[in-house]
Amino acid sequence: MENDFFGEETAVILGLGEHRVGNYPMATIGLGSCIALILYDRRRLIAGLAHIMLPESRGSVDRPGKFADTATNVLLDEMESQGCTRNTIAAFVVGGASMFVFSANSLNIGERNIAAVKENLQKQRIRIDYEETGGKVGRSVYFWPEGKGRLVIKRADGTCSQV
Amino acid sequence: MELDPVWKDALTEFGNIGAAHAATSLSQMLMSPVEMTVPEVLAIDIADLHKYISNEISAMVVFQIQGEIAEGGYIVVSMPRQTIIQLTNQMLGMGDTDREINEMDQSAAIEIGNIMISAFLDATAELLGIVMLPSPPALAIDMAHAAFESIVAQVTTDVNSVLIFNTELMSEAPPVYGSIYMLPNVELADQLFRMLERLMEPPS
Repeated sequence: MENDFFGEETAVILGLGEHRVGNYPMATIGLGSCIALILYDRRRLIAGLAHIMLPESRGSVDRPGKFADTATNVLLDEMESQGCTRNTIAAFVVGGASMFVFSANSLNIGERNIAAVKENLQKQRIRIDYEETGGKVGRSVYFWPEGKGRLVIKRADGTCSQV
Repeated sequence: MELDPVWKDALTEFGNIGAAHAATSLSQMLMSPVEMTVPEVLAIDIADLHKYISNEISAMVVFQIQGEIAEGGYIVVSMPRQTIIQLTNQMLGMGDTDREINEMDQSAAIEIGNIMISAFLDATAELLGIVMLPSPPALAIDMAHAAFESIVAQVTTDVNSVLIFNTELMSEAPPVYGSIYMLPNVELADQLFRMLERLMEPPS
């Protein structure tokens, strides 16, 4: 809904299952059980963001940003094709909340998403620089690749933090 | 994904019948008139969901559709925070609207959701001649889009678009406002199409 976050023209809001790589600000609004995976190359000032929805692709390839396993790979591939190198890339992981009460069922898929994202990062030997996962509240995530990379998280309970 | 206009009409009518029954049950609970919009039926690409679902803090009561089609998708009643407080106050005869959401509000939201959705599913299932029952409800009071993500994730494992029915209900006194969303999964959507097709056939 807030399509012009802080009035920056180049900023992009990513919907469910989307991913982008570039040097412009990126955001995901209203993150629940999904995960915002941000890979950031401090040397090249290029970031990749994926709005991950489910843990496993099970062979599906048309929306690589949708699944934890394919998202990690597609972000790394695209960043490396823009000249990034593995050893200067670090990860920020936000999301994976369990929002529903009175529900023991599959709606709380956040935990499985978190586990899958971390496993895939470890497989690719990507270091996690900052993590805010789990919990019960929704979040909006904003990332600016310039400078040292700036991450802002706004939570549904009204709190906000900056990294 | 574009919906065929004839399908869209049929699905709108289907949603209309369900929502009308839900509105009646809400009106009886509040003892006041409730107005409703004509349902919108949309096939939305998951990447565009954030353009349709706001990020307002809302109470979302969520039911899985069960019955003849096991795990047929989800049906959701979404009400802004202020509406929940109004409804609880109305039912308990309280006046303070400037307060935080408490456990009483959670129970009230679930109860209202239960009654409205049972009416919705009863009416639509009867139209189709099948059994559709709501699961026990789950509740989230959070950013609406964030709660929707979890639901959408369940119905779009293998597809990239989702069929959404949306009706808005409102009453002036007490000032309440809510929406009903139905998100059938692929199997239920197919079955809906087939059944509506049969209903629309000219009698021979």
